[in-house]
Amino acid sequence: MANSRGFWAEAWRRYRRRPLAMAALAFVGLLLLVAALAPAIAGTKPVLCRYKGRLYAPCLGYFNRQWEPAVFTKDRFRGTYPQNLKDKDPESWAIWPLVFQDPFRAVRENEWPGRPENPAKDEGRPSRTNLFGTDQAGVDVFAKMVHGTTVALLVGFVSMGIAGTIGILVGAIGGYFGGWVDSLTSRVTEIVMCIPTLVLILAIIAILEKPTIWHTMAIIGATGWTGIARLTRGEFLRLKNAEFVMAARAAGAGPLRIMLRHILPNGLAPILVPITFGIASAILVESSLSFLGFGPPPPSASWGSVLNDARSNLSMWWLVFFPGVAIFLTVLAYNLIGEGLQEATDPRLREARK
Amino acid sequence: MATFLLRRLLLGILTLLVITCFVYGLARAMPGTPLTAQMGEDPSRKLNPEDQERLRRIYGLDKPWYAGYAQWLGNVTRGDLGRSITRKQPVTTLIAERIGPTFLISGTALLLIWLVAIPLGLYASARSGTADERATSLLLYVLYSFPTFVAALFLQIVFSVWLRGTAWELPLFGMTDLPPTAPWLARAADVARHAILPVVCQTYVSLAYDSRFIRANMAEVLRQDYIRTARAKGAGPWRVLFHHAFRNTLIPLATLIGLSLPGLIGGSVIIEQIFTWPGMGRLFFESIRERDYPTIMGLTLMFSVLTLLGQLLADLLYCLVDPRVSVE
Repeated sequence: MANSRGFWAEAWRRYRRRPLAMAALAFVGLLLLVAALAPAIAGTKPVLCRYKGRLYAPCLGYFNRQWEPAVFTKDRFRGTYPQNLKDKDPESWAIWPLVFQDPFRAVRENEWPGRPENPAKDEGRPSRTNLFGTDQAGVDVFAKMVHGTTVALLVGFVSMGIAGTIGILVGAIGGYFGGWVDSLTSRVTEIVMCIPTLVLILAIIAILEKPTIWHTMAIIGATGWTGIARLTRGEFLRLKNAEFVMAARAAGAGPLRIMLRHILPNGLAPILVPITFGIASAILVESSLSFLGFGPPPPSASWGSVLNDARSNLSMWWLVFFPGVAIFLTVLAYNLIGEGLQEATDPRLREARK
Repeated sequence: MATFLLRRLLLGILTLLVITCFVYGLARAMPGTPLTAQMGEDPSRKLNPEDQERLRRIYGLDKPWYAGYAQWLGNVTRGDLGRSITRKQPVTTLIAERIGPTFLISGTALLLIWLVAIPLGLYASARSGTADERATSLLLYVLYSFPTFVAALFLQIVFSVWLRGTAWELPLFGMTDLPPTAPWLARAADVARHAILPVVCQTYVSLAYDSRFIRANMAEVLRQDYIRTARAKGAGPWRVLFHHAFRNTLIPLATLIGLSLPGLIGGSVIIEQIFTWPGMGRLFFESIRERDYPTIMGLTLMFSVLTLLGQLLADLLYCLVDPRVSVE
């Protein structure tokens, strides 16, 4: 008889059968692509250009200011490439991003030959040059959102990475050792559950001199682990007396090895589900913070801060519609993935399908 | 039972001590004091250094934070939550003023949620697998993932901007436009009109979540052997659903009810902020911004007590609906 499929292969086979869950996975894949290629999709810096006989990629400056080649600062480009490239080196050529718009500033008149200035105030409805319209300062919303994708993805992964690590550790220690260790970790979990998250985040952001998006992620992660810890504790309580754990102990494995190599892989599936849902809620928390005006300061624009701009002038519906739909679809995608994971890995639900 | 309650009480007090101490330390660590946060915006109200020093002494801001915490704790044990520094009113008065508006929104929302979620959840489990059930479930799922603040902005645009001047126009924010001297009935109608959008925003997410929760639990119960037995002995489909199945899903439902207690009085910071609704959530937000330590602490204490009470209530309800479970 051939080897039967492993647990994860079987789970993946079940997951694949759900079209909505697969669509959600594809959507997150698309977001990853957009985040990675953001400077090539929307920007005012060439993706690749030949200048004075050498090749440069100024678009990398969108990822990190220092990655923008120094020669352009020296030659006083001041961020405007099309005209400067032609004036300072007639031989030069450049590959431009798909959409010539900047996420941090309004495009000026004739910056791109023949292109009018971005409309400012409340006149920037969606048009051919500004796909998603412009905000009060005339900055293109499409460019802002393409560059904000990174924030949305990072918030989910980083904060849940932190929350997952803390939650699994605390839950595993409490569940495995039991006794006074367990009551201590359970009390700590309870206390963290009672602390109002918003106070914590607002207070810490106020205390920090220069809050960045990384601080927000760290705080969301540091407060969002309680549910994961409780679930992990339950799984460890259930599994710590199983035969395979006893066998491992008899073979001389230490507690750390038993916890990480033997119990955790067997209890991981149900723990992954709240982590996935946690990604969705982390994105919600971050965007609502930005919406309230407590988000990361520019230049790291997030989708929520575009929504915040809309509050002062509600007739600019495009400032609500596009980022609102983007946040909604992302949260929906993670919820669908979480549910797909749950259905694929929960043996009780599997029996019911037969 | 008595020992259980006593143990929970002692643990609860310990938890409260840790939380309030932590939040007080955090609040004091925020840059600025209630005095500077208040003066910062208006240069004409700037105080000279001597006056500021005098006020700092009066409010105890010259002492280190742990001394301030000890003083606050001492007052609390005597039942005194202190006076708000920025609003010059006792914290209890402030809370009493704001609790009504919040309860109006969250109470109405909670009532609507249970009135709609339970029938919807039962309907979904009764019609499981049919086209209309799938459509309802998908819609609920979409609603559940829809961020509240986005929904609030959409509703504001539709009902306050696009429908301006029609009979469907709804007020953008605030609780009432009428002066306190207006007739009682007109004021009530005006407040109700202002409350529609916040109530809708507070209702729909929990509504979707709760009916999905009920449906999931029903699916679990409907697989049990006793349901097959009930069907086999000839009980009708509705009798099986209500009498045999639904009763057994009350256990997880009890937990959910207990855990919704803090939200009932705590309100939602974001919804109250968007609609400038004068409730507890907004008070909390404002007090953090004004560095109004007594108000921050009073609200933190109240929320923590409610959270702990909610957990206790969930445990007690659990024992009440399931005789197999006992608090011992």
